[in-house]
Amino acid sequence: MFSAVRNRMKSVKNIQKITKAMKMVAASKLRSAQVRTENSRGLWQPFAALLGDSPSVDVKKNVIITISSDKGLCGGINSTSVKFSKALHKITSGPDKETKYVIVGEKGKVQLVRHSKKDIELTIAEVQKNPLNYTQVAVIADHILKNVEYDALRIVFNKFRSVVQFIPTVTTVLSPEIVERESESGGKLGDLDSYETEGAETKGEILQNLAEFQFSCVLYSAALENACSELGARMSAMDSSSRNAGQMLDRLTLTYNRTRQASITTELIEIISGASALTG
Amino acid sequence: MASNAAAPFWRAAGMTYISYSNICASLVRGCLKEPHKTEALTREKVHFSFTQWKSGKPEKPSIISDTVE
Repeated sequence: MFSAVRNRMKSVKNIQKITKAMKMVAASKLRSAQVRTENSRGLWQPFAALLGDSPSVDVKKNVIITISSDKGLCGGINSTSVKFSKALHKITSGPDKETKYVIVGEKGKVQLVRHSKKDIELTIAEVQKNPLNYTQVAVIADHILKNVEYDALRIVFNKFRSVVQFIPTVTTVLSPEIVERESESGGKLGDLDSYETEGAETKGEILQNLAEFQFSCVLYSAALENACSELGARMSAMDSSSRNAGQMLDRLTLTYNRTRQASITTELIEIISGASALTG
Repeated sequence: MASNAAAPFWRAAGMTYISYSNICASLVRGCLKEPHKTEALTREKVHFSFTQWKSGKPEKPSIISDTVE
């Protein structure tokens, strides 16, 4: 009884040490990731101003790009992006339409394989071996573009608001043909014609270049935002688990002391009653 | 303008705008002077694994990495 409680106390203490260390690591990584995320916002904001975001666009070939992390222990961010992707899949699928998944990150894949195996087109992992950089994400975007047929790419990720707040977000990137179609029907994209473009290229060519570059930029910022959210979520998850371990330790210490006290009391009673039996 | 003439060529070679701009970017990085050059080169490290799926089954993953070079 005694040593069992002592063993548990020791193991809880060790776990608490580990979670504390993980929290520290996440916190220090988060700082640099946050700076990079904030710097990257300048990359996609011009695109948002120029092309806008059209989540409601209705096209035949939808591709949902779910961004998740490779490692676990970071709260619910992967589940949220998977949940969002599934909902989006339900909305965009129809009789003559098809929706496919492209999954970045190991944890999202594990969750989506269970129900939507057939709709997975590509999976990408080990993205965060080096710190994320634009070149890498651009190569990934290049691979996705070459291997997937799409009318609209919908990127699902967790936008980083603060260490404890992440907003699941969907960004839509349209294929050049769809951009052209939408711009003819007016709306925000209709303003495209009022821009002056250099060179003798046709409008379709410019739009194709623009759409490709937009995709890589948006994917870059999405990957960064999600990495940032992952670290933030890991930080708060580890913080609360170290706190739980502390509480557990307190309770265990209490039982430990109580049983120790009880055994001392019994021993005392035995000695005293033995002594009084001799004298009496 | 050189870019006007060049644009169709890289497209004809099967490149997307992304790979074209990446090659341009790495050329520009190569023009930097020394302390900045190594720092800039760390920003073009690529490493990830890439798996294609055919009808619900993953195919053999290919690792795309330039750390060996």
